[in-house]
Amino acid sequence: MKKTLIGLLFLGMLATSVSAADTIKIAITGPFTGGSAPMGASMRDGAKLAIAEINAAGGISVADKKMQFEVIERDDEAKNDRGALIAQELASMNDLSGVIGSVNTGVVLAGDKHFQEKGVTKIITPAAGSASMTQWSKAGVPDLSIFRFAAHDGIQSEMVVEEAIKRNLTKVAIMYDSTNYGVSGRDDMLEQIKKQGNKLEVVASEKFNIGDKDMTAQLLKAKSAGAQAVLIWGIGPELAAFANGMAKMEMKTPLIGGWPLSMSNFIDNAGKNGNGTLMPQTFIEEPITPKAKSFIESYHKTYSVPRIASPVSAAQGYDAVYIFAAAVKQAQSRDTRKIKEALEDLRDPVEGVITTWKKPFSKWDPANEQTHEAFRREQVVMGMVQDGRVVFGNDSDRQRLIKNAIK
Amino acid sequence: MESLIISQMAVSGALMGLVYALIAYGFQLTFSTSKSINFGQGELVMLSAFFSLTLLDWGVPYWLMVPGGLLFGVFLGLAVERAGVRLALEQKSEGWILLTIIIGLLGFSAAENIWGRDDRPFPTPISADALQFFGVNVTPLEISVAIGVFALMGLIELFKRKTLLGKAFEAVSADRDAAELMGISATRTVMLSYGLSGLVAAMAGILVSPITTVGPTMASALILKAFSVAVVAGLDSGFGVVVIGIFLGALESLTSFYLGSGWREAPGLILLILALAVRPNGVFGKATIRKV
Repeated sequence: MKKTLIGLLFLGMLATSVSAADTIKIAITGPFTGGSAPMGASMRDGAKLAIAEINAAGGISVADKKMQFEVIERDDEAKNDRGALIAQELASMNDLSGVIGSVNTGVVLAGDKHFQEKGVTKIITPAAGSASMTQWSKAGVPDLSIFRFAAHDGIQSEMVVEEAIKRNLTKVAIMYDSTNYGVSGRDDMLEQIKKQGNKLEVVASEKFNIGDKDMTAQLLKAKSAGAQAVLIWGIGPELAAFANGMAKMEMKTPLIGGWPLSMSNFIDNAGKNGNGTLMPQTFIEEPITPKAKSFIESYHKTYSVPRIASPVSAAQGYDAVYIFAAAVKQAQSRDTRKIKEALEDLRDPVEGVITTWKKPFSKWDPANEQTHEAFRREQVVMGMVQDGRVVFGNDSDRQRLIKNAIK
Repeated sequence: MESLIISQMAVSGALMGLVYALIAYGFQLTFSTSKSINFGQGELVMLSAFFSLTLLDWGVPYWLMVPGGLLFGVFLGLAVERAGVRLALEQKSEGWILLTIIIGLLGFSAAENIWGRDDRPFPTPISADALQFFGVNVTPLEISVAIGVFALMGLIELFKRKTLLGKAFEAVSADRDAAELMGISATRTVMLSYGLSGLVAAMAGILVSPITTVGPTMASALILKAFSVAVVAGLDSGFGVVVIGIFLGALESLTSFYLGSGWREAPGLILLILALAVRPNGVFGKATIRKV
């Protein structure tokens, strides 16, 4: 009896491995619940949309076989320990082709070492701070299986400072949350102010904690010091407390900051007080190109929503899958190491919803983490909150993207 | 300019302090009749706020939602009393401490599962546009908090002084055994106090949610401060919690302005330590002599 049972179990295992033979296993991880959920869930939904499209078209032909994508989803809840556990689990799967995901820097720092150890290819998207890549350049690893597909903090702070200068402002207040993310954002902005010619004087530099609801003290300091703009680095709900506080203090100065200002939990909680807020974006939910139009429409239809909770995350998740698929096709293999090599040298351009990606990554160079970073300044635009959605902050960006699409 | 900043900070803080006072008042209500408090009071605030938000989502108009939310608070208060406090008190044990904490944790998990972990905005018809009084900006929303706090506390105090049931409440607070000998049911009075305490928690939730948003952790910071206020003021002075609440709120925001926002929580804790060291019965508390 026992033997037959074991035999049956064995058969069962064989059976599943046979049915899995023609699929490419890809894991999608990220915070699908909690404060960072708008980013994580939108990324997941965008990625799954791309996967559904590829599968519906018959999949990818690898070595004369049409292969479909098979998705494994894991919710890391933005918790570092969960992230580490999930990474361990995924890295121990022998037939996993790759991982797409992550929002929180802490989760990435806790988990990615397991992927790197086993050589599992991972594309970090939609977020995670600079440390998620600099940890590898600092360690000087000769070969890296981790790629990042997100506008890194350096580009974002550059644009935030640029925007303030472009508006002929001279005095700014810097607000940042007390997490790693906030503090490194402040440092990036200060560095950029220096780099861009010290045209801005920082008249107030104030900290706030996650969960703070009342920002009157910080805002009063900025106001009494005569700040003409508030440059801010933080995450959704606290940012909304700032926008609401500014309305109360009748501060009409612009609020400019990192891209979490486009998250729905900022936009919803700030309501009309959020209007005019500026932040860098990789994708704006406006159907300005045919590709963007069809992406937005099918997202709305598939998930029955009138707007995408985090358009940037959805678009990045979508494009990341197409880039990954292109690598599978080029490698003609589902082996995660071969896919990594293909990613480092993608021959054909990949048409995405953000842009047409030409060689997004190159061979890893420990002295320059840009080799595994896809985004450059020109793929990022300034977005602005307007009546509950994010629109183009500068019309010139919009025109540029339309022109690029026609080319 | 300097004095203007001080008054702006003080006013903003004091209005927040009134919410601490209201929650602290909820502690007092149950402590006076039963010498027990609900350590899960913060979860009552949060659950009532979520319930009220759900009513609004169902299309119940705001002014009907308020009594609905308050009733839900009363129901929760009674449930805590029945499940966590009554048996412990009957056995003269301190089991209510652990039981109320556990009920609070249960409520927290329930909220996470039913409503999710996200912070959600709480719509209100009261405007959040700033008004200016002598150069100090205040929103009608903040004023509504003050009015709500004073109205509810005033009504409950009036009830305690003017009605027969209220007098029974006072009698049990003064001397439980003597009151029972006079034919007042202490059990019922304790029930009443827990119901009222739930009502107060629900009111705090409804008042503060439009400002702080609604989420499972919305009350965790509030409750700690409310507890400080209750202890510093003394667990038997309704007037005291208002004064200490306003004082603590103003002190907090002035501290975060002058010392930096990282020090915001410090004055409350220092005040608590000082009060326990110098006046263990609270600043407004009466020192009672217990005859053995």
